[in-house]
Amino acid sequence: MVNSNTLAGDAAGRGAPIPKYSTGIAQIVNSALYRHTLGAAVESRIGRILLLAGVPVIWLIMLHVGPIYQMLKISLLSHYPIQPGVESHFTLANYAIFFRESLYFTPLIKSFVFATAATAVTLVVVYPVAYYVAKIVKPEGRSKALLLLLVPFWAGELIRTFSVIMLLANRGAVNVLLREIGLIDRPIPMLYTSFSLGFGLVYLICLYMLLPLYSAIEKIPSQYLDAAADLGAGPFTRFRRIILPLSKDGIVSGCSLVFLTCIGVFATPMLLGGPNTVLFPETISGFFHGASDKWPVGAAFALIMLVTALITAGIFMRLVGGKKGSAF
Amino acid sequence: MSDKLTTTRRNALKLFGTGAAVLAMPFVIRPRPAWAENGVLNVTTYDKFLPQEFLEKFQKDTGIEVRIRLTDDQGKQYNLLTAEGANPSTDMVTVAGHRYSQFISSKLLQPLDTGKISNWKNLNTAYQDAPWARIDGNLWGLPILAGYEGLARNVDYVKEAPSWEIMFDPQYKGQTSYIVSDFMTIAMQYLGHDGDFVTYAGKPEIAQKATNEARDLLIKHKDMVRKYYDAGSEVQQMFINEDIYLAHSWSGPAAKLIMDGHPVQLSVPKEGTFGFCYTLNVVNNAPNAENAYKLLDAILASPDVGAAMTRQSGYSSTMNGVGDLLTDREKLASTLSQEEVDRIIFFSSINRDMKNEMIDRATAEVKAA
Repeated sequence: MVNSNTLAGDAAGRGAPIPKYSTGIAQIVNSALYRHTLGAAVESRIGRILLLAGVPVIWLIMLHVGPIYQMLKISLLSHYPIQPGVESHFTLANYAIFFRESLYFTPLIKSFVFATAATAVTLVVVYPVAYYVAKIVKPEGRSKALLLLLVPFWAGELIRTFSVIMLLANRGAVNVLLREIGLIDRPIPMLYTSFSLGFGLVYLICLYMLLPLYSAIEKIPSQYLDAAADLGAGPFTRFRRIILPLSKDGIVSGCSLVFLTCIGVFATPMLLGGPNTVLFPETISGFFHGASDKWPVGAAFALIMLVTALITAGIFMRLVGGKKGSAF
Repeated sequence: MSDKLTTTRRNALKLFGTGAAVLAMPFVIRPRPAWAENGVLNVTTYDKFLPQEFLEKFQKDTGIEVRIRLTDDQGKQYNLLTAEGANPSTDMVTVAGHRYSQFISSKLLQPLDTGKISNWKNLNTAYQDAPWARIDGNLWGLPILAGYEGLARNVDYVKEAPSWEIMFDPQYKGQTSYIVSDFMTIAMQYLGHDGDFVTYAGKPEIAQKATNEARDLLIKHKDMVRKYYDAGSEVQQMFINEDIYLAHSWSGPAAKLIMDGHPVQLSVPKEGTFGFCYTLNVVNNAPNAENAYKLLDAILASPDVGAAMTRQSGYSSTMNGVGDLLTDREKLASTLSQEEVDRIIFFSSINRDMKNEMIDRATAEVKAA
């Protein structure tokens, strides 16, 4: 049996003299009630876990699990928002619509293909940059180099999307420049195409690839590369046999982050995409503010997308990142 | 101070007090609801509909704080109001006349008491008791701005556009734009069908056939389209950047471009188009309904307010005397020939459910094609 006196002592440091504070907060912290509660929590393993994990768990439940639960609930209702005089009942019909109609399957497939392509392009574009910052730039300059790369991300997503519009429009910077130097007579239609959407997405999400890659590459000991060079390995062999396998964790994390972001991105395809780049999030949004307003169908489709994306990312992580020491 | 926790009345009270405070916290820190405020008016409306200068003057004169919540879609307003049920967080909404039936059947609006609006006489007589505005024997809102779906063109590249046919002219491949669901109804008109579905009440097979024809036409000519847009600001941006030369556009955004001096003209092609009217409506169970009537009365008090609304939004004002206050360019932007005016049919609220259902599906099919 542990008495309350011992508990209070544990919380503040056993046997230590208890200082007297004059501030209000200090008085609360020093009070028997506070010390007793904290002491009891610290004493047990579960209490310590609760103390450490309490805030993150509450955060996750309120801001992540809660909305998904609400969406799940709406997706199982026949009507929502519920109008006066209308009875709403639980049904799976909203999910059945997706599996019954190929019409809605096509945008989901498009979204997956596009997200996969965008992830691959982002990896190819960002990997050399991450390698340069992590291995070529001198250690004292790395923070500055990273800071420079991060500056554009201080602006919001929409601002950066509009900057892409200003760049690629018929009267945008690129077309104006090409016309000024006499390379073209008529503007090249770059905006509202797969190119503009891909370009914009890679620009918007490359940070999610850069940081995990930088972190992984920076940890690779330079001695490994030196030793390989001494043993006659050329640059490509060093990259294939040492750098790539050892940066695998960064590649897996970066690709997962980029893929999951791409699959659910909404505003950018709406602003940069054209008539042939309608992705699944836009289809979902149509159910929330289309003419006939079908929230339950939209919620069901959103959950289908969420689950499918998580399964795909999970399979990818398992295949690429699951086997320790394997080089892809 | 003692380390030992003793079960005293004071400690017990502290414990209960703390517990009660924690439990009450969500209630205390929640957003203050509209119904708990005095001297406040919550208005949900479109961007640039209510001029800032007018709102500032209204607030100064009445002491009522006007809180604007912007919307860009009738469906969003409807969904939010329905979700809030009997405790709405907004006092006024901006409903398009043809969406009345949906809002009224869901009991989201209260009938308008024109007796409380002393300046009602300043509303153009054409709108005081328009057929579309009276439902179940009541008027439901104050018409503030009227518009139509027009054919906008960059006059530097497209000299004339007498027919919607031009939207399918290969000469302008990749240089047109439209809102799919809206243009679907125009395509039905172009094909000689009823794009407003009024005559299709009780005839779903005929309606579906007509819708499918329009859908197939849009899919066939998908290569004509640069972008399917959603908001008026997008079509403005595309005209300014010369990404498009032709567009189906609501009159407001296109007229605003004309007012600002861009080489754009708006017309009503020979196959006709649809007109609509935005109204300010008092929400059912609105906590500040009296304040809402004060705002409606203030809007009608002076044609200056109507002129400012037209300048900002590009839509035509419904108030008397506004035309005298507009410049020639502003008048040109918001004026049509009588022949074109005659081609405009106001959207009806009849058979909306069938129309919404079929148009939504056809829209998804066009986008997915």
